[in-house]
Amino acid sequence: MNDEPTPGSPTSESLAFRAALLVGLLVLLFAASAAYLLYARGVFEPSQRLVLLSDDAEGVTVGMDLTFAGFPIGRVRGIELSADGTTRIIIDVPRKDARWLRESSVFTLTRGLVGNTNLRAFSGVLSDPPLPEGAERRVLVGDATAEIPRLVSETRDLIRNLTQLTSADSALAATLGNVQSASEKIKGPRGALGVLFGNDADAQKLVVTLDRTNALLARIDGLAAKADQQVFGAEGLMPEARATIVQLNAALLEARESLKKIDAILVDAQAIAGNARAASNDLSALRAEIDANLRKVSGMIDEVNRRWPFAKPAEIKLP
Amino acid sequence: MTDVYGRVIDTCAHPMIAPMTSLASTWGALSDLGRSALDWFAGWGRIILFSAKLLVLAFSPSSYRGPNLAALARHLVKDTAPILLWFTLLTSIISLVIIHIVVVTSVSYGLSRFALEMVVRVLVLELIPLTAAMFVALRCALPNAAEIAVLRGRGVFDGTSANRAEPLQREILPRVVSGTFSVLLLAAVSCVVAAALAYVWVHGFTAGGIASYTRTFGRVFSPALSLIFTLKTLGLSLAVGLIPIASVLYDRPNPRLRASAELRGLVRLFFMILLIEIASLVGNYV
Repeated sequence: MNDEPTPGSPTSESLAFRAALLVGLLVLLFAASAAYLLYARGVFEPSQRLVLLSDDAEGVTVGMDLTFAGFPIGRVRGIELSADGTTRIIIDVPRKDARWLRESSVFTLTRGLVGNTNLRAFSGVLSDPPLPEGAERRVLVGDATAEIPRLVSETRDLIRNLTQLTSADSALAATLGNVQSASEKIKGPRGALGVLFGNDADAQKLVVTLDRTNALLARIDGLAAKADQQVFGAEGLMPEARATIVQLNAALLEARESLKKIDAILVDAQAIAGNARAASNDLSALRAEIDANLRKVSGMIDEVNRRWPFAKPAEIKLP
Repeated sequence: MTDVYGRVIDTCAHPMIAPMTSLASTWGALSDLGRSALDWFAGWGRIILFSAKLLVLAFSPSSYRGPNLAALARHLVKDTAPILLWFTLLTSIISLVIIHIVVVTSVSYGLSRFALEMVVRVLVLELIPLTAAMFVALRCALPNAAEIAVLRGRGVFDGTSANRAEPLQREILPRVVSGTFSVLLLAAVSCVVAAALAYVWVHGFTAGGIASYTRTFGRVFSPALSLIFTLKTLGLSLAVGLIPIASVLYDRPNPRLRASAELRGLVRLFFMILLIEIASLVGNYV
């Protein structure tokens, strides 16, 4: 309690130095904490403003994050109510993260079951133009708790249907009863056929039909054996057909020879026809000469007649 | 049956005059209660006046010259240096336990993303400043108040000298400043250590989580909350530095009370800490 330094106690310089160290430590801690908090609040980071419009901003708090693909890229700076009753959520997006927001970006506000609210951004086309400074976008609100009444209603319907299905007079119970009787019938002497036809008489008919079909098949086997003998046997249809074909080949050879002879005759006839055509041409020249000679003879006779004394004048009397 | 002083009253000894005795004792009890309330308010008034006087002296440059500065340095080192390491170790161990409990509980309920925020709120905002204030109050402020009580008993502050600034600057102000400083330094160091421990516990020895951790810190420390936190820590430190010493210095001796002036100062201090905590919680969460 005495402020005077006692022997063995630290000197005043040493005390002053240690006190200065402590004060310096406190000042350093305060300054570092303040700087870190300002950095954490994004004071030193250039940012651009984004305004999200919503009908209901319940759950949105100042300082909450705007996330893109799970990474926080922005922070809510303020929430205000506009003149038309729309809430304006003002968000600061750091410039370095603003590249994830495009003109076509979609913003959602989802509320979880335990009260947590999330603001998310989705950018489908990253090649679109970047979002401008101060852009205003409508936010899509998805409320998980809003689905609860519908979910409860559907669950109630489902339980009601299940109750109806499992009741004693339900169709399912009747079907199961039928299945049980069918399985008992299957285990009976008629087996599955009795289940398929519903009565023993029809099942018996099917068995008889099968027996008769087997007998018919046996007879068809015999017929096939006989037909084989008739067709492919030693004196069957096929050997005779083969001999007939040989004979036909020979006849065809003879016909081919006859046709060759006919071809030669036709060649001769063609030559004769050519000679006759040439003779016809000579006859035409001869006829022309005869015609000329006859005209000369006729002229000569006319000259004789004119010179002849008893010649009559040549006149023509018209009727 | 006992009266307000705890004395046993024999109601069967004088049945005929018992009603009159009971009425007189009730009146006396009410009178004592009113006097006690007045004393209580008067004590707080004196403490507030004394605190204002000391704050004025604390902002006066003459308080930090010559022997006053040496006394201040001595008290700063004596009150803070021996407990700094131990208190930091103690709060680190307690912080690790609380961090583990909060993180494991959050993970088990699928709320792991809120774990760090909860750790920061519980430790840095609430527990560590309060623990530092209580620790310094018990370790430094009460011994300082006892020393002042002894000095007062010797008559250092009697007569005209009690009104002069010199004894206040040399004997009282260094103790008040050292108590206040000690709370601030212990709280600051422990908060930083607890924040670092929380990061290492959740993310491990990697720098990959610094960005998200910084973001969480920024989200928790909104401007309003930062202001309330600063005011609360400052209020706690001033209360720890001022109230015990002011209480022993200005409390009138009261023969009816069995508690000493130091103990009454401690009660006053706890009452003020409680008020500050309630005001802080109301400001933060209401």
